[in-house]
Amino acid sequence: MPAKKNAAQPAPSAAATTQASTTATGSVPASSPVAAPAAKNAPAANWDKVLQNIYQYYMKETPQRTKLIDVFLVFIAVVGALQFLYCILAGNYPFNAFLSGFGATVGQFVLTISLRIQTTAANKSEFPEVSPERAFADYVVCSLILHFFCVNFIN
Amino acid sequence: MWSILSVAAALFAAAVSAVSTSGNRLLVVLDDVAEKEAYGQFLGDLTARGYEVSYETPRSEGLTLFHLGERTYDHLLFLPSKVKGLGPNLTPNRLVDFVNANGNILVALSSKVPTSTSLVSLLSELDISLPVERTGTVVDHFNYDTISAAESHDVLVLDAPSNIRPGLKSYFELHGGVLAFPHAVGHVLGSGPLLTPIVRAPATAYSYNPKEQAEVLDADELFAAGQQLALVSVMQARNSARVTVLGSAEMLQDKWLDAKVAKLGGKSTKTENKEFARRVAGWTFQEIGVLRVNSVEHHLQGSEELNPGIYRVKNDVSYTISLSEYVWDKWVPFVLPEDDLLQLEFSMLSPFHRLNLELTGTTDDAAIYGVSFTLPDQHGIFNFLVNYKRSLLTNVEEKNTVSVRHFAHDEWPRSFVISGAWPWISGIGATVTGFLGFCAIWMYSKPVGKKN
Repeated sequence: MPAKKNAAQPAPSAAATTQASTTATGSVPASSPVAAPAAKNAPAANWDKVLQNIYQYYMKETPQRTKLIDVFLVFIAVVGALQFLYCILAGNYPFNAFLSGFGATVGQFVLTISLRIQTTAANKSEFPEVSPERAFADYVVCSLILHFFCVNFIN
Repeated sequence: MWSILSVAAALFAAAVSAVSTSGNRLLVVLDDVAEKEAYGQFLGDLTARGYEVSYETPRSEGLTLFHLGERTYDHLLFLPSKVKGLGPNLTPNRLVDFVNANGNILVALSSKVPTSTSLVSLLSELDISLPVERTGTVVDHFNYDTISAAESHDVLVLDAPSNIRPGLKSYFELHGGVLAFPHAVGHVLGSGPLLTPIVRAPATAYSYNPKEQAEVLDADELFAAGQQLALVSVMQARNSARVTVLGSAEMLQDKWLDAKVAKLGGKSTKTENKEFARRVAGWTFQEIGVLRVNSVEHHLQGSEELNPGIYRVKNDVSYTISLSEYVWDKWVPFVLPEDDLLQLEFSMLSPFHRLNLELTGTTDDAAIYGVSFTLPDQHGIFNFLVNYKRSLLTNVEEKNTVSVRHFAHDEWPRSFVISGAWPWISGIGATVTGFLGFCAIWMYSKPVGKKN
């Protein structure tokens, strides 16, 4: 569910990209002159600036589908961490249930990362013959196999 | 299979029911056949119990223990004979072969007659030592018979034996009786587990050679004294054949069976030699102390199938074994001696369980011992093993092999039955749902390439 909620954000983020476009153009040159004096008097403000810069760059330059992938990755990482935490706190019986539950999140995470690598425009030269549609189809098939395995293994 | 076996066993039991479980052909070896008159009552009692008694001297030509590889006699009784060796037909090797072929031997010795070298060798094979020079008599200056041996002190009068140690059947226990041992030869037992002393000499007895040590007995030359000396001992081989050494052959003679004896300073009483001789011969010739396994049954609890070949780990299994004991002329339910336990081992190389079998029921001629237990969490080829080997009782070794398999894949509890698995089930659910939602939004979104 959080995936959808977060995925529903492209509208404001798209607005942010337009808004950030003005600042980004200003901030890229602004960062280099600021770096020299900030090292002496205001390092905290500088870090703040850097983070904001990264965020704005991300919001502006990242395609909407890649952002969707990132949101899904965060969701999977949270689900996996919760399951691992439960295993540490409550014990690992029945162990096959822990393995399949935790393994499902790990496997899904790895597959989603692969999808992200293959669909990023910057990596187009690495995968000349893999179109985004083809990458997504691979991803769906592999994920279904993973889910089948996990549901079977948890018995 | 079992029914055929039990019918055969029943037929066999009927054929020999009047007498011993191992046959009724008895060979008595003595110096001169005429000597048997002296043992008339004892031998007559054996004949009356159903034995076919043959008499032979060691010199006899036709004497042979085996014919075409089969025993020609079931039991041997050696009475004292003056021959130095017993001849080519009764060599120690032949006698050991006879025991190996399930023949029983009762050896009666006397200090009046030097023991034959064949018998000395046979007994030393069994770790029973006789005095050197084949002669030696046991005397006791405190427990002698004042009527017949007031001077020579070589007729011992002993209280009837009590149980040698706890956990044995009391076949030789005669309450309150006395036994006379005239001119007895003592022997010393080795440490073998198959040997059991029945009557030991009292603490004040000792053994000496009347010919060479008549005047003075050097302590260095003493053969044995006190409780070291055994007067009656039994040996049961691993095949349950029995060998008994009776130190005094004369106690079997008519004149000693019911003789009046008197201890030093005591009244004259009748000896219990007759009953004791009957029991010694009966035990040796397998009329008492013989066990039979009628049936072994094991089954899964809640299942009707008997003796299945395969079980699963952690199954609840019941095991029963039916045992009978032969007492003189009939099979009766076997009752364990006091302080003894019948145990079942469930073993694969080494026992995983060793459990006490409890008496669960009794029929006319059999006692049923059983136990229920849970199989170990280990799959493999296992044996139900009852290994009951005790002195004075024939050996019982019953082994039934079964396979124990592991859980089949559909015999485990489902994960949703185990509440501990619910968080992980919901974890998979969240992952799958998230995946579906992700795919839906992905396909709804505008592709990257066609952004502009």
